[in-house]
Amino acid sequence: MNRRLSIILLALVTLVVLLPFLWTVATSFKPLREVNRYPPVWISPSMSLEPYRDMFFYLPFSRYTASSLIVATSATVLTLGAGSMAAFAFARFRFRGKRALLLLFLLSQMLPGASVIVPLFQLLRAAGLYDTHAGLILVHTAVLLPFTIWLLHGFFTAIPVEVEDAALIDGCSRLQALRKVILPLALPGIGATALFAFLGSWNEFFFALILTTSDATRTIPVGIGQFVGEFEDVWNQMAAAAVLFSIPPLLLFAAMRRTFVRGLAAGALQ
Amino acid sequence: MRPIIVALAALALGLPSCARNDQAVVLNDWNFGGRPRLIEWLRTRVDSFQVAHPGVRVVQSQKSWNMIRELLYAEYSCGTGPDIVNVHANYAAEFGGAGYYYPVNTFPDFAQVKGWYVPCMIEATRYGDNYYGLPSSAIAFVLVCNKELFDREGIAPPRTWSEFRAAARRLTRDTDGDGVPDQYGLVLLGGDRGGFAYRLIPFFLKAGARPMTDDLKTVTLNAPGGVAALRLIADMYQVDHSVTPGFLAYSLTEVNDLFCSNRAAMSIEGPWFRGMVDDKCPGKKFYTVPVPVPDELAGGADTAATLQDMVMYAINARSPHPEQAWELLKYLRNEEADMAWIRQDLGATATTRAALESPEAAALDDLPVYVRELAHARPWPAHPKMIAIASDIFTPWAEKAIVGEISPAGAMDQATREAQELIEGKR
Amino acid sequence: MKRSLPYLLLAPALLFTAFVLVYPLGQNLLNSFRAVHLVQGTGGWTGLDNYRHVFADREFTLALRNTAGYALGGTLLALAGGLAVALLLERATTRATPLVTCLLSLPWVISPVVAGFAWKWMLNDHFGILNAWLAGAGIVNPGTSWLGNPHTALLCAMVARAWQFYPFAMVMFLAGLESIPAEQYEAASVDGASAVRRFLAITLPNLRPVSSVLLLLGVIWSFNDFTTVFVMTRGGPIDASMVLPVLVREFSFVHFDLGKGSALSIVIFAALVLLSALYLRVLVGRERA
Repeated sequence: MNRRLSIILLALVTLVVLLPFLWTVATSFKPLREVNRYPPVWISPSMSLEPYRDMFFYLPFSRYTASSLIVATSATVLTLGAGSMAAFAFARFRFRGKRALLLLFLLSQMLPGASVIVPLFQLLRAAGLYDTHAGLILVHTAVLLPFTIWLLHGFFTAIPVEVEDAALIDGCSRLQALRKVILPLALPGIGATALFAFLGSWNEFFFALILTTSDATRTIPVGIGQFVGEFEDVWNQMAAAAVLFSIPPLLLFAAMRRTFVRGLAAGALQ
Repeated sequence: MRPIIVALAALALGLPSCARNDQAVVLNDWNFGGRPRLIEWLRTRVDSFQVAHPGVRVVQSQKSWNMIRELLYAEYSCGTGPDIVNVHANYAAEFGGAGYYYPVNTFPDFAQVKGWYVPCMIEATRYGDNYYGLPSSAIAFVLVCNKELFDREGIAPPRTWSEFRAAARRLTRDTDGDGVPDQYGLVLLGGDRGGFAYRLIPFFLKAGARPMTDDLKTVTLNAPGGVAALRLIADMYQVDHSVTPGFLAYSLTEVNDLFCSNRAAMSIEGPWFRGMVDDKCPGKKFYTVPVPVPDELAGGADTAATLQDMVMYAINARSPHPEQAWELLKYLRNEEADMAWIRQDLGATATTRAALESPEAAALDDLPVYVRELAHARPWPAHPKMIAIASDIFTPWAEKAIVGEISPAGAMDQATREAQELIEGKR
Repeated sequence: MKRSLPYLLLAPALLFTAFVLVYPLGQNLLNSFRAVHLVQGTGGWTGLDNYRHVFADREFTLALRNTAGYALGGTLLALAGGLAVALLLERATTRATPLVTCLLSLPWVISPVVAGFAWKWMLNDHFGILNAWLAGAGIVNPGTSWLGNPHTALLCAMVARAWQFYPFAMVMFLAGLESIPAEQYEAASVDGASAVRRFLAITLPNLRPVSSVLLLLGVIWSFNDFTTVFVMTRGGPIDASMVLPVLVREFSFVHFDLGKGSALSIVIFAALVLLSALYLRVLVGRERA
């Protein structure tokens, strides 16, 4: 298949893939009475920025954004911290119970959210962490860790042992070697993992809904969910919120794209 | 340097004592759902309460109605929860009876407070010997008829089942000539399991059938009147094709869209419908009439029951400040507060006699219909498992009968059997 | 110190895992053998009653079948789509490639709640754009219901799920493709192999590690995916698209029967563990061969 044909095909595919999102964007500018009408239109004369403006009156989205930023950033940092240490241990050490522990991390992804939520809720309540950023951060970290460890494990094993051995010969301790040699080499992979973790936390809905209750701690997905009312779903404002809050993760993804792919190429395939 | 340190130390020592002086009682008030106007009104009402009661601080949280059970479950399983919350009155059976709500009849002034309300409405908050809340918004299920479509066809809103069926048939038309109908007589809320049950059961009730015996020991969904009601709708769907085909996926949003765009002529709704339609297409008119009765019972149509639903405000049995909570409850639900339900469209009907008999009430055109229907409406049987039965047993079987997977009699027999097993603990 | 270093390094992660896996799993296991009901309180031991109720439940077998189909079908679709797009991207490199890659990844970047609703709106029978086009082209009747039709509802949710997941596969495949040594392709063209042959003999085998992992992860994640189905169909029409996570929510949060909900959770967990174990055994076996 020649290159020109591929380009045309790719353009078409991109358009098709973006369709639901484009429709959401179109909806985000319409007044409520035009959201579901026959025949459906992409552009209408009564389009405006009103839904974008109204959504901030309807719900305190600036506070939700602050919460989402705090939670997602902290969860990412914590996940990377705990995850790197664990992945390093798996990648560089031989020890008893290694396989069992790897399996344990895989297993922790197999419980559905609805099963985990009530015990978690009771635990957070007992620890005084209910309706706090800290509580949600801890839960998100725990949920993100298994996959993070798996990814980082791949990146670390991809780094040849000789590089590390050279550092050890030069007089570094194991931990110093980790800090000075391995981490810089693994940076693309860590960047990729950071992106996964950030996205996972930023978009997480179910736990955020049940484990937070006040506006000060609620995150953006919970806010978006509130547009689904008991009588009417305020589609246009919901679409506006969706569009607006897809931008930060998209920008992050754009910024990290190259490191992302390079990082995965280097490591995840081990 | 030293004076600064001394000042800081004094401040540090003084601050805790400042906190200790703040003896304010804090009440947590959760409000689930509600129209924006109701939420606004609630906020102002709570603010004026705090002005009148300086020692009390009310923390109000607005929450999603769709997640009410998850959120309350999480709280109650830990023995906590808001001091005041608005819930369906049938939670009195489910939660009140189990000791989660405070029996407000134990407050000294309850007898006087009780007198504010229309009797059947305050009775809805009762379970056993106790009352577990104060009624907030009254709902009766009625039939709404698209005025434009009815007038165009020259027919009046139906009163009996045969009129209902005939009207639906006449109002199902292909208006754009492409060979496929695009206007339907009846739209059903099939995608909302709880909501669907609320809209079908009124037909059962109008036919004299009851979901359960009064002693709550026997399920009677397969009573002849009920089966006949189900057969009516099933025939309308399968034979007349006058029910919207995609109804199994519809929620209130779709119902609103279809009604406003004149693709649906009738729906079974409640007091929220006016505001809902107004938001989407201002000025759209519709007739509000009682749910039709079977032909043979047309004589007693005026006293035939429809489904009553009620939202009540309840106090947490474990609230550390029940007396203050009671004060707030009364303030939110007294006759003065209730007038807001008359003066503004808050999506439901008022519950106090004073409000309903006020001159302003007389000026509202569909209020008399609701008030008349509420006078002999029946709530769901006060069994703790009624909600589960309605949404997970009654609705699926009824829907299967309507689309033709099973006969109406067979469906209701199955539903009755499963529901009976559920209340006897065998499922 | 040296001996215990790996354990120390693992300690924080293990603590988190205990918190989000061990404790809830233990609680669920415990509750599945008791009569636990939010309102009626915690009763005594009921042995296998809860499990019996789960297996006898009208919706259980349907949910099990649906979930398996949804998870497998959705993942395979996402993998196929991801591979196809990755191949296309590789061939059609232009200056716009970074931008296009980002745009193509959008479904994964947006929140699952939003994705579910976007698909739901598009599939609306009277007002959705999908029907506007299909009916306009005469392919279907106007007003055809997709989410209200028991035969198509789950399929639609599956497509929506594949749409959300495919960028993840695409990015993984892009990385995988980049790591295939060019010499293998050169050798093949020297031998005169056609494009299709090169794809089957070089590309696919090299991508096997990636695709195996993607399949496992995709199926596990889709198996436990609550949001997409719930937002689009809530398990309807009637029960046609009921999946296990939605059923767990029904038992635990609508019926408030935590004993039954826990029993179902354990069943789901056991099913996934079994599936993964079998899968990994096959995988390891194949790698050895």
